[in-house]
Amino acid sequence: MGLLTNILLAPFLGPIYGTKWTLDKVDRVVREQLTDDTPIKEDLMALHLQLEMGEIDDAEYLRREAGIMERLREVREWRERFGMSTAGGPVRVAGEDDEE
Amino acid sequence: MTELERQETPSQATGAANPADGKYVYCIIRLDRSRDFGEIGIGGGARVYTINHNDLAAVVSDTPIVIYDPTRENVLAHEFVNETVMREFTLIPMSFGTVFRSEKDVSVLLKSTYQAFTDVLEKMQDKIEFGLKILWDRDKVVASIERENDEIRRLKDEITRNAASSTYFARMQLGRLVEAAMEEAGNRYVLHVHDQLKDVSVASRSNKVIGDRMILNAAFLVDRKDEKSFDEKVKEISLKFEDLLTFKYTGPWPPYNFVNIKLKLEKAT
Repeated sequence: MGLLTNILLAPFLGPIYGTKWTLDKVDRVVREQLTDDTPIKEDLMALHLQLEMGEIDDAEYLRREAGIMERLREVREWRERFGMSTAGGPVRVAGEDDEE
Repeated sequence: MTELERQETPSQATGAANPADGKYVYCIIRLDRSRDFGEIGIGGGARVYTINHNDLAAVVSDTPIVIYDPTRENVLAHEFVNETVMREFTLIPMSFGTVFRSEKDVSVLLKSTYQAFTDVLEKMQDKIEFGLKILWDRDKVVASIERENDEIRRLKDEITRNAASSTYFARMQLGRLVEAAMEEAGNRYVLHVHDQLKDVSVASRSNKVIGDRMILNAAFLVDRKDEKSFDEKVKEISLKFEDLLTFKYTGPWPPYNFVNIKLKLEKAT
């Protein structure tokens, strides 16, 4: 069994393994993109800088800020869906159980 | 407080519409009695007050259990409270958006982190932070490099004179030389600024630059007694380079960039 099965059945199993591996990899890349808020935060800082430098006015800032907040929320939702940590929301000191 | 229109509710509520029994925590100070800072809190001017444990106090306001988006309005509200508290106290700022479920959970934080908070408050006593961003005008810097760098000037003249015959490689060569000279000039400005501010600050920290025009994005920790000297020094440098560089100077801030207590917090369900 094991290796032998693998060799014997290779022509049939091969492509299936291959596809699965590719899907896993795609899944991982997509997941990383969906759950990474670093580029969004950089966009927010860049937008803030534009406002500071007087290149855009308050109205323009608010308009674009809304888009960025939307993207941040999407990332947060994906992180929650994948069971990853998220910023914000209620917290408490770890390991201190409620005595009530 | 802000020129922007006030939003009455935070942009996203995750919990049920419970009464506002959550606590938004702005900062930790040393104070052994309760204190009211007025109705300046996040989410439309909630009352800001303290939750005390021995000689430590958490500065908080009541909030529904929600996630606060880092909108300018919310961030300004958070910062405004810290600025107000800072006028009288040395403080440890909390991260934006830190919400606890109850007063008791905040007390547990003060109790369990008492020693670390006390140590850091001691270290940060009478220290304030200033932010300094420096941006350059690429075209002007290139022009000044061309004036001062003989090799670049010669190569450029040559290319201009023999426009038709000047090779692709000569242009490539010029581009590379200018790039290198730019990088060197940028580093030189940054070093100069750090060098000038060394004696009037306690520490500095360089953050990642934003965009392609910024050459410095730094925070400086300054002793309150040196605030004036620091201020004068920054003005002096910015005047010296006013033709080439734009200085964005902000503060005083609480020591956002110099306090790093890793709080062991977990999601409260």
